[in-house]
Amino acid sequence: MSDKHGDEDESKKAKMHLKANDLLCVNGCGFYGTPQWENRCSKCWRAHQNEVKKSQDFAKNKSLLSFDQFQERRKSTTESKSRGIKNLFKTSPIPEGGTSSPTSTSPAGTPTRRRDLSPDSLEARKQFTDFLVINLTTAMAQEIARSVKNAVGKISEMKMNSEDMSELVMSYYQYLGERIGVHSLFNSPDCKVKVEDVMDQVEKYISTYRIRSLHWVTAGYLETKLVFKKQAVRDKIDEAISELIEINAKKSAFEKLECLTRSCKAIFEALKESESATSADEFLPTLIYILFRGNPPLIQSNVKFISRFAIPSRLMSGEAAYFFTNLSCALEFARNMNHESLQMEKTEFEAYTSGHLAPPLSVINSACNQAMYVLEGTIETIVTVAKKAESLAKNITNMNGKTDDDLDKMLVVIKETVDFYPTQEYLNMKESIFTEEQETADLLVSLSRQSSESGRGTLSSTADNTQPSTPQPQTDSCINESPLVTAIKEEVSDSS
Amino acid sequence: MAARNAGGAARPGGPNRTCQFKLVLLGESAVGKSSLVLRFVKGQFHEYQESTIGAAFLTQTVCLDDATIKFEIWDTAGQERYHSLAPMYYRGAQAAIVVYDITNQESFQKAKNWVKELQRQASPNIVMALAGNKADVANKRTVEYEEANAYAEDNALLFMETSAKTSMNVNDIFMAIAKKLPIGPAQGEGPTGTVDMNQPQQQQKGSCCK
Repeated sequence: MSDKHGDEDESKKAKMHLKANDLLCVNGCGFYGTPQWENRCSKCWRAHQNEVKKSQDFAKNKSLLSFDQFQERRKSTTESKSRGIKNLFKTSPIPEGGTSSPTSTSPAGTPTRRRDLSPDSLEARKQFTDFLVINLTTAMAQEIARSVKNAVGKISEMKMNSEDMSELVMSYYQYLGERIGVHSLFNSPDCKVKVEDVMDQVEKYISTYRIRSLHWVTAGYLETKLVFKKQAVRDKIDEAISELIEINAKKSAFEKLECLTRSCKAIFEALKESESATSADEFLPTLIYILFRGNPPLIQSNVKFISRFAIPSRLMSGEAAYFFTNLSCALEFARNMNHESLQMEKTEFEAYTSGHLAPPLSVINSACNQAMYVLEGTIETIVTVAKKAESLAKNITNMNGKTDDDLDKMLVVIKETVDFYPTQEYLNMKESIFTEEQETADLLVSLSRQSSESGRGTLSSTADNTQPSTPQPQTDSCINESPLVTAIKEEVSDSS
Repeated sequence: MAARNAGGAARPGGPNRTCQFKLVLLGESAVGKSSLVLRFVKGQFHEYQESTIGAAFLTQTVCLDDATIKFEIWDTAGQERYHSLAPMYYRGAQAAIVVYDITNQESFQKAKNWVKELQRQASPNIVMALAGNKADVANKRTVEYEEANAYAEDNALLFMETSAKTSMNVNDIFMAIAKKLPIGPAQGEGPTGTVDMNQPQQQQKGSCCK
């Protein structure tokens, strides 16, 4: 300080002595400002310069959030740029969209209504408001929420190409950052959150908006060759998505690129599992699809971050560079995607995007419907199980039949064995039967003797008739069943 | 592998300096861009492309008399809908192979468009080659050799008809490109020379695009 006052006039020195506070940045950021920078500190001065430059760029735009000017700009750019504009939001099917007057101050205007249609969007909005409510005072939260809502709505409503849009969003960030920054709450020591946190949330909200609105674009439209029926493919896709989401959690560009590389490798493996070729023809559509499916947080910002802060050579050569280029391309494609790139009718595309129509659930288009495939897989499993049960039942029946047969066979074998190796009991039984038969035979013999004696008496006159008399066969026939008949007969004949 | 280029086998740690070059493959889908690279890098050919490796990004080293050239091959999606994204891929590329299918006249027209676009938008000293692939099915050809050759001569392109299936001219076209690539005289530091090599190229590219 002391060297300075030599060439500078006294007034400065006097000022210094008069009021130390005058030296502070007029933005109230706590740093010292200089008169050359309109009493701003270096940071605020740069921001201010940017602001001024942007304001000039945006033709007579005094405040970046006064959308009356945007509205004008929109009209002015419509004629000149309508050819190059591939903005999704143009001529939106919502009747009010194109003609909403700049004076409509309703905070929940067209954009809200549009976003109501997508559950994803609702969720994001809820998260955003929750964040604001928890961390900020009510008035402040309301102000920010309204501002952001308006901005998103207006920006998306406008017909402009992506560069203008990103510039707008950037300047909006800046504007909001400045506005929030000067707010007393953030300068007070008991402030719970930092400005950056709020900005992060705002950024998150805005930057994922586009991809969210395209969530209906499925693998079928992008002509990927993934075979979703395979569990392995689904696993790999999940892995790729989670790695892509992980990018945001990593701090350095290098780590982010590593995540991206892993994600891309998983995509290649998914393609491999689908028995598809692994050339760029298949890889890029798959990456785009993964991007829509995953809707990774802040992916746009992450890509920008990497491209700005990674070592340039890392982005010019090597595998990671290739994948990064692909990711940039995928994002670019998503940003510029329109009905032509999906080869469908313009009205159809817009209806799907705004949520007025649900895309048809044809086989191809529902290819992303994981739940359905899981269900299909389950049904398949059930069918297999049922088939197995059926065959099991058949086997059981066969087994029963076999067992019966075996039992019969076994009985025969047992009988044979018993016959061959008789037991004592059996022998005794045989013995007793034999003796019984013997006795019966004896009895019969004695009986036949008696009868023959009486017969001899009557037939004595007929001399020696060796032939048995007629009553004899009758007697025989009475005991015909007995196996002893022959024996008896022999005895009878012997005795006679 | 028998199909491996005899002169192109990588000899890491050789006395020569190594230069790394980015080579981008352009052309309509299904003309055989990836097959060509797979044949060059892995010596493989799959009729139905059930390849087990990611064929979108591959590297291969070829040896010249005085230098080792490491090709970093970037495949691009050939579908028309991704055409507008191509500048991101060929940005900073030192070499490009534009591939067409000799049995498909339309792919040749597309190839011509690619050449025009590269001449207009890519780095001015990019080495461009035109490859008429699927030369093994020459009986079904719709693009005459003379026609393509004349076109290539008019535009100062390297030109060969190749076949990824029979490996005809595959290594030759990469070797021809390698020979045409500018090998800077002032890099004697081995692998680090790679980085040095890329830097001036990028700067040249940057200056022309600004």
